[in-house]
Amino acid sequence: MRAQPANRISKKGLKVWRLYGWIQTIILALVAIGGGVLVYIFEWPWWIYPIEAIVLVLFAYFMVFLFPKVRWLRWRYEVRESEIELQHGLFIVKRTLIPMVRVQHVDTSQGPILRKYKLAEISISTAATVHTIPALVVEEADELRGRISVLARVAEDDV
Amino acid sequence: MSEQQQRYKLHWITAIIEVLKTVKEAILPLLALIFVNGFQGGWKGEMTGLWYVDYLSFIIFGALIIGLAIAGIVKWRRFEYWFEDDELRIESGLFVKKKRYIPFDRIQSLDYTEGIFHRPFGLVKVKVETAGSSSQKQAEGELTAITKEAAKRVEMEMAEAKRRKKATPGLDGEEAAFEGMYEQPAEEESALRRIFTMSTKDLFVLATTSGGIGVILSGVAIFLSQFADLIPFEWMYEEISAFIKFGALIVAAAIFLGFLFVWVLSVAMTFLSHYKFTVALDKEDIIITRGLLEKKRVTVPLKRIQSVVLVENPFRKLFGYVSVSLHSAGGSIGLSSKINLFPLVKKDQVETYLQEIFPDLHLEEPAKKLTPKGRPFYYRIDFLWMVPVIGALIYFFFPYGLFSLALIPVVIAYGIWQHRSASYDVVGNQLIMRFRLFSLQTAYTMKKRIQSMEMKQSYFHKRKGVATVIANVKSGMGCYHAGVHHMDVEEAEKILNWYEKGKSAE
Repeated sequence: MRAQPANRISKKGLKVWRLYGWIQTIILALVAIGGGVLVYIFEWPWWIYPIEAIVLVLFAYFMVFLFPKVRWLRWRYEVRESEIELQHGLFIVKRTLIPMVRVQHVDTSQGPILRKYKLAEISISTAATVHTIPALVVEEADELRGRISVLARVAEDDV
Repeated sequence: MSEQQQRYKLHWITAIIEVLKTVKEAILPLLALIFVNGFQGGWKGEMTGLWYVDYLSFIIFGALIIGLAIAGIVKWRRFEYWFEDDELRIESGLFVKKKRYIPFDRIQSLDYTEGIFHRPFGLVKVKVETAGSSSQKQAEGELTAITKEAAKRVEMEMAEAKRRKKATPGLDGEEAAFEGMYEQPAEEESALRRIFTMSTKDLFVLATTSGGIGVILSGVAIFLSQFADLIPFEWMYEEISAFIKFGALIVAAAIFLGFLFVWVLSVAMTFLSHYKFTVALDKEDIIITRGLLEKKRVTVPLKRIQSVVLVENPFRKLFGYVSVSLHSAGGSIGLSSKINLFPLVKKDQVETYLQEIFPDLHLEEPAKKLTPKGRPFYYRIDFLWMVPVIGALIYFFFPYGLFSLALIPVVIAYGIWQHRSASYDVVGNQLIMRFRLFSLQTAYTMKKRIQSMEMKQSYFHKRKGVATVIANVKSGMGCYHAGVHHMDVEEAEKILNWYEKGKSAE
């Protein structure tokens, strides 16, 4: 068995994902309320209400509690001298290996929500693929970006 | 270094080619215009008295043609190219001037096409292929029609510039090292060596078994749908009811004739486009030439080739034929740049040809087969869609819906077939992966050409100890995924370990 990559992403990432989950739940709740109003106006059968409620509660449970938790527990990364290894996935665990020689450039970026939590995501691009680590503390992301770019430059290019 | 400032123009035939190109792109709206307007107006004799209403379609049509002709001429008149500062510079456009500077050392290859308009004047269309990376917007240039001497001049200018670049490596040594991928040696005397020519017999086999039939069928359908309004349906219904009395045999014959016609068309098109398909080796480049009416010449630098894929179509394999395609980095089109190296070649000869072009490539059959552990995964997932589909079919069409149960063994057999075909191997610093969609594909990839690798495992995979391995290879602007699904997890990890272990094996 290959060892799992060593580092986890920031614990705050979990909070951000939960926040995303809440936002999605609120949108769904608005849709559900709209549906409820329609049911009331057109006098559709009453059992649509409990179904809507159950769907909403299940959605909230999955998107706010279960999925972010599992995703966070799965997410691991490791930046070694000659390669980067990532592990992530909800149902399907995906492990990715990116050799330093193949790295073309590294970007960090943050949206408003990530900025509020002082987080950033880091994208590693090769000639053909882009890989993203979604939530890192800003300083860590910057440090990592610097380290990867140095390592990628040192690694001898043999393409 | 601006010693050469002379500006060149394209040949005047460019204007005509441009007009025809626009007409070809606009053919469907144009046809619609003619049919809608033409048949409503003066055509059928229902004159309204106002000449500009009766002949509206002709007026629009005429204006369009004149407009297109002017646009074509303007495009030709305003198009200029010249060489300056080791760059190919192109300027075009009337109101919005577009300037495009393409550095010579960024040019990967020049591809030539000789269409039917080019041939009488000894002209050639030159397409400039650049080595753009995935992040930057690629520069691309096309010289629609220039004389062969002019094309030679572009080539010479390019070779000259590259030689100069090589002579002064200190200038941008770091960039050159980083861009080592794109660097090309200066061209000296070209030593063209012919590797492969498709014989007329092979060409015939290729044409008759080509998969382009479906494309043409749909094309014919679209074409016919344009004429749907013209077909007098009432008359036809009577005819058809009489027709049916002749019996199913004649109907079948008519359908068959229709298919035959489409098929002959497809054969003819493949024949024309692949006529004299020749692969030659020019030191660092593969040069592919083909075509009867439209001659094409494509250059593929060996350095840019990422992966060699052997494709075995089950039907063609019956006759002992396989085909080989290449994945090359860069190129002018955004789609994956899959290049047909050998569209059709005898299986027992393919190794000789490939070895001549790629002497370092190990062309063994991948020896490692999958274990039975992974077999159920090849068809189990299909039950997710099969159960509801079959259930619905049985429910709604009760007695006959039961026939859909026959789908299950077919899907399972297909899955088992895929499982049996899949194999993989690691030879030195080269990965061989074989997998089947319908055709069997064997991807030969050097370790250094694999951009990243993935191992995927679902919960069920983990329980059975299997995993999927995917190798990501650059292809054009995009990515080609070669992968073996549902293999033993220990073996999958072995491949990852091989990939990880630096460059020690080189």
